[in-house]
Amino acid sequence: MRVGYFCTFTPKELIEAAGFSPFRILAKESITGIANAHIQSYSCSQARGSLERALRAELQLEGVIFTRSCDTLMRLADIWERNTKMRVYNFEFPTRVDEKSKDFLISEIRDLATTLKLWGGDITLQSLKESIELYKELEKKLEELFSIKPDYELILRVQEMSVKEALKMIKVPQKERDKPKVLITGSVCPFLNVFKLFEEVGFAIKDDLCTGTRFFSFKYPEIDINSIEDGFRYLAEKYLYKAECPTKHYERERRFRRILELSKDCNGVIFLLMKFCDPHFFDYPQLKEELEEMGKKTMLLEIEFPAVSLEQLRTRLEAFYEVISC
Amino acid sequence: MLKKLRSNERMRQLMAGYYMMGHSARNVAWVTSGAPVEILYAMDIYPAYPENHAALIGAAKLGPNYSEYAEKIGFSRDLCSYARCDIGCVLAQSSPIGGLPKPTFLFACNNICNTVVKWYEVLSRIFKVPLFVLDTPFVRKDVKESYIIYVRDQLVEFMDFLEKLTGEKLDDGKLQKTLMMALAGVKAYKNVLLTARNKPSPLTCFDAFINMAPIVCLRGTEYPISFYSEMKSELDERIKNGVAAVDDERIRLLWDNIPIWYQLRWLGEFFASRKACVVADTYTNAWSWMIVKDKSDILGSIAETYIYIYLNVGLERMAEAINDLIDVYDVDGVVIHSNRSCKPYSFGQYELQKMISVPSVVIEADMVDSRAFSQAQIETRLEAFLEMLT
Repeated sequence: MRVGYFCTFTPKELIEAAGFSPFRILAKESITGIANAHIQSYSCSQARGSLERALRAELQLEGVIFTRSCDTLMRLADIWERNTKMRVYNFEFPTRVDEKSKDFLISEIRDLATTLKLWGGDITLQSLKESIELYKELEKKLEELFSIKPDYELILRVQEMSVKEALKMIKVPQKERDKPKVLITGSVCPFLNVFKLFEEVGFAIKDDLCTGTRFFSFKYPEIDINSIEDGFRYLAEKYLYKAECPTKHYERERRFRRILELSKDCNGVIFLLMKFCDPHFFDYPQLKEELEEMGKKTMLLEIEFPAVSLEQLRTRLEAFYEVISC
Repeated sequence: MLKKLRSNERMRQLMAGYYMMGHSARNVAWVTSGAPVEILYAMDIYPAYPENHAALIGAAKLGPNYSEYAEKIGFSRDLCSYARCDIGCVLAQSSPIGGLPKPTFLFACNNICNTVVKWYEVLSRIFKVPLFVLDTPFVRKDVKESYIIYVRDQLVEFMDFLEKLTGEKLDDGKLQKTLMMALAGVKAYKNVLLTARNKPSPLTCFDAFINMAPIVCLRGTEYPISFYSEMKSELDERIKNGVAAVDDERIRLLWDNIPIWYQLRWLGEFFASRKACVVADTYTNAWSWMIVKDKSDILGSIAETYIYIYLNVGLERMAEAINDLIDVYDVDGVVIHSNRSCKPYSFGQYELQKMISVPSVVIEADMVDSRAFSQAQIETRLEAFLEMLT
């Protein structure tokens, strides 16, 4: 049985430990039709497209966890619950991410475990320890793989299966010849042809995307897990220090600092932003300014799906390629 | 054709005084409309409201003008127009009231949206001043004890933050007194809104919108108490003399969402000329619901009050609140403003239509950005709706 989730701040380890298979819900490239009767056209295509899949009964899920992130997903939970047969649960990840929100996050993790039990999944100390270990292994492997050559087809696939199956899929790729490297920053991009386009134009890619490296970039706490409570505390710390997302408020500009750091070995930065994604668009002007002060060339690509014209995107990428490779 | 209230003029004077006060204040906080301002007033910190400021700019039909300053440096036109307008004013270093006084610090509470967190982060980078984010979990179903503890702990932290910043101690008695005044203000305000129960109503939601600034900005001071008491007397006088806000009132409506500030007059006249009175709305009522309950644990009560803000609850509770207003004000239909700028207020409206007890119509617009307003389209929709109701 599968349990769906949207946001990478959802502790998948709990879902797995409860005996469910975590399933990341992402929009597909189909045109939205039915969903338009339930949410306005100024919602992002990730929200609208995912709802469309649910309404078309393309998603066979036991339940869905809505983790607090943006205003759109916050409201989508009720719309989803009223129009599908799936169970819906809100996991209130704190917006303020610092040491002071840790206790609250632990209580939310505890409540999520209780909910999963109600859904028929019991978490034991052993199952929790095992899933924590397995995810750590998967994340480390993905990190290694992405440092050689990102594989977006693989990373999208592993988000739709149990961690054990996911581990079987990892193969270490060949190192690429040197190409101009760009950092792609944004929210979700579940559309492989966009990445293909980047490759075809000739870029080497590094990403700060929530369907890319933000799925597996963590700092692991040093906590011995001798009880389920220890496991909850471990997960709280792991997720508090996860790769930064603009839907959260951090101390001392943690997110900006990370992007600036990531961009250091890149020739340019591309903001691949989904239209109507407020959190990213709010950060964009000032982050762009800081990157440019560092001497990085930047470009904004606003995407919406289904894509109107990939060729137009190609032309812009080619122009940017010229700019950064000279 | 619209009947103006004498209160409008008093409100203008009151707000002019409030804005003046800001320029001589020692400590200025920029705050979001759903933040517990009582704590600031109890510490003699002047609260400036970028949202109110943006509404004022919208009403002056200057929304696109100021937004463009923000858009020019990369803020997307799809972002909240209050935020664009306000950031635009900061960049332009001007506004119809000469801009807001420079902030000492920023205080954002995400009980109204997550947008304010991002918006205030932008401001804190521009002004290089500290930002305190009061994080309120979303209450889709029931509030949990853990939510209240989390928010309460942050309030304790916030007081500590304020004491360090101002070098002054927060006096419990003064906070208690400020809360009592806020409560009295909210009650006086609610009594004003409730006069619209009378048939015909002496008040339209447009009068309520124009006169809402004091309860937002001055809540916790004596000003709203006296202002709204006087306004209530004026409305009672109208009732006594048989003066209706809309002559020959035939249809009673409810407005949902933030007003379309630059079209208040047009909308007011449109409805009045069709003998329809918009007697109530969910926006101004959001402040009438701000009632701090238990007094034994002040911070716990503040936490609970501010978690339960209208926009921080799920659709079931929102529908309940709307249905209550429909009953209390005996409403025939609901006009739903689908506001491009406000996702938490607007997403879910299509569901709400199925959950409320009277017919409704959705109009697509924006609260401040008049470029997203199509008069002909809205007129057609509203005409058809009113026809259906009669």
